[in-house]
Amino acid sequence: MKKPFIVFCAVLGVKAQDAHEWIKYTDSQLRGDSSEATITMTVQNPNYTRTLEIKSYVQGKSQALSEILSPAKEKGIRTLRLDNKMWNYFPKMKRKIAVSSSMLLSSWMGSDFTNDDILKASKMSEDYNHKFIEDKTVGGETYKVIENTVKENTKAMWPKILTLMSKKDCLPRYYEYYDKENNLKRTLKLDNLKVFDNHQFFTEWKMIPTGETEKYTSLTYKDIKFNVKFPSDKFTQKSLTE
Amino acid sequence: MKYLLPLLFFSLPAFAFKVDLSGNIEAQGRKTWNNEDAKKELFQDWDNSEFYMLYGNLGAKVDVKGGSRFEANWLVRHSYSELYSPENPAQDEYLVTNVFTFPRTLVARDIFKLQYEKQENNYRTDSVLNKFIYQWNFEEHRFTIGRMFINYGQGEIFNPLNPFNQPTALNSITNFAQGNDGVNFTFYANDKHTLNFYFLGDKSIENYEGQIDKTVWLHGEYSYSEQLQLDYVLGEDQNRHKIGGQFTYLADEAMIFGQLLYQSDYVNMKKSHNLWDILLGYDEQMNSKWHLRIEGGYQKRNRMQPEGFNLNNRFLPTEYFLAIANKYEIHPLVNLSGTIITDIKSGFTYLVAKSTFSLSHNTEAELFAFSPISKGEGEEFPVQKLVTTDVGLTLRAFF
Repeated sequence: MKKPFIVFCAVLGVKAQDAHEWIKYTDSQLRGDSSEATITMTVQNPNYTRTLEIKSYVQGKSQALSEILSPAKEKGIRTLRLDNKMWNYFPKMKRKIAVSSSMLLSSWMGSDFTNDDILKASKMSEDYNHKFIEDKTVGGETYKVIENTVKENTKAMWPKILTLMSKKDCLPRYYEYYDKENNLKRTLKLDNLKVFDNHQFFTEWKMIPTGETEKYTSLTYKDIKFNVKFPSDKFTQKSLTE
Repeated sequence: MKYLLPLLFFSLPAFAFKVDLSGNIEAQGRKTWNNEDAKKELFQDWDNSEFYMLYGNLGAKVDVKGGSRFEANWLVRHSYSELYSPENPAQDEYLVTNVFTFPRTLVARDIFKLQYEKQENNYRTDSVLNKFIYQWNFEEHRFTIGRMFINYGQGEIFNPLNPFNQPTALNSITNFAQGNDGVNFTFYANDKHTLNFYFLGDKSIENYEGQIDKTVWLHGEYSYSEQLQLDYVLGEDQNRHKIGGQFTYLADEAMIFGQLLYQSDYVNMKKSHNLWDILLGYDEQMNSKWHLRIEGGYQKRNRMQPEGFNLNNRFLPTEYFLAIANKYEIHPLVNLSGTIITDIKSGFTYLVAKSTFSLSHNTEAELFAFSPISKGEGEEFPVQKLVTTDVGLTLRAFF
């Protein structure tokens, strides 16, 4: 299965100096036009482990719906995002609440991921400017490094993100998130590359806050389907409250 | 009709393709100290007391082939208080019992009854099917019949736009909603506009012997822009004509919302007057751990009800109020929340503090304390003198 991507990398090689092309390629592989996934989230802390199972539906940049499948306490809670609007729905109470966009940047269910991460609200290729900087070696492997800086007038939690790209398959292995003071705050590590519906996709995502050794949140994709044709009412209020 | 719905429900598994059961059980114990003013002036002659409660919900959802669904929820509340009237809940001499088991009314608009209430010595049991619906979806519509939860409106402490469900932010139970008997038709007109029509009935005012009081109600949700959502309500409910609206403005960092509800004089009574309710609110996630909410408002006194209890049986014993609610995650497994409500006119101030500890994936403990921290001045709201000081612990399990 690796052959086509070696070919692609060769094709990309023509534009090898264009960091934007690398990021666009990553977006196309990891996001696609639409996707449906079942994810296990594990919040690991020194004294406890918390596990949630989530169903996620994403279409384009602006439409996303997620539902918690377990544990029982949160089961059925849904989140719908349409453009910059977001609603939570609590089925046990039949309660729907609108949430402000500041909530997109807050922690999702006490994890190291934000609502924005879960709902895939930001699209790196559109929201950031990109340029190559000096290569970086991590764990004995040297990566091409792209510096992503947020575009003016774009709402994003992280003003700067470094993407460490594998030279083998032109896909990222690490994302490093920097705050306004240029401090590294967290690192996302991608692992276990597989192919689903002609998309290369990592099934293990691990977010590690800087300075923490025993604290992290991992996402394990149990399955993911790309280019899913959703019913026309999938990302609507009706679907949210079903 | 009363027996037909349960019969239909229990014969369903033959046609079902997905059955889902869920619920929660809670055990609560609390110690309550009486307000000195209540002892002196309102004949509430007790010093302190204990209250214990077992409370639970069992919910069932049955998806039926063809896109329709049955849903039910069985709520049981078994409680003990030495302040209960020994025989009849309606004759409780000590008014604090209304707070222990708030809301007393488990079904807000009640035709089918489907509930059982028993009082024996100091033990009281409420058992009710507070949800029991058949719902089907077709294209842009949804039709629901039975006993349903109706839950809308941004207000968490005061939510006048929705007369069908009492906010429970100020007490210590979870997953509680009041049932409403009737039919609902929802029309999803387009991406921006949803219309909810309700036709409900209520016999409870007449103790099931008299006529059914009807509710004819329209609730619309209109998305005016990315930032602004408008809700409106219009109809007749509990013998009053009502009209109102809500705006929700999503600013970059916060949400601002407001409600206005006008209630006419009673349709069939000469001696009555209109009522107004106003709410303004602000909600912001200050950072990843701290959530802030401010609600302020006004509810016009219903002067036709007995003095002191003239706020339409709502939990909030103030006419003008300001509430500040903070919720803070001090540890991923521990949340702390504190709400302060103050009566702008009298100065009466009430504190609600809670701390929730996650014990495991599906269990948690909550410590709570409710206390008046400032006495009100003036005699306008004697009910403020009834507010007790409570400390308690709730253990919860979810399944």
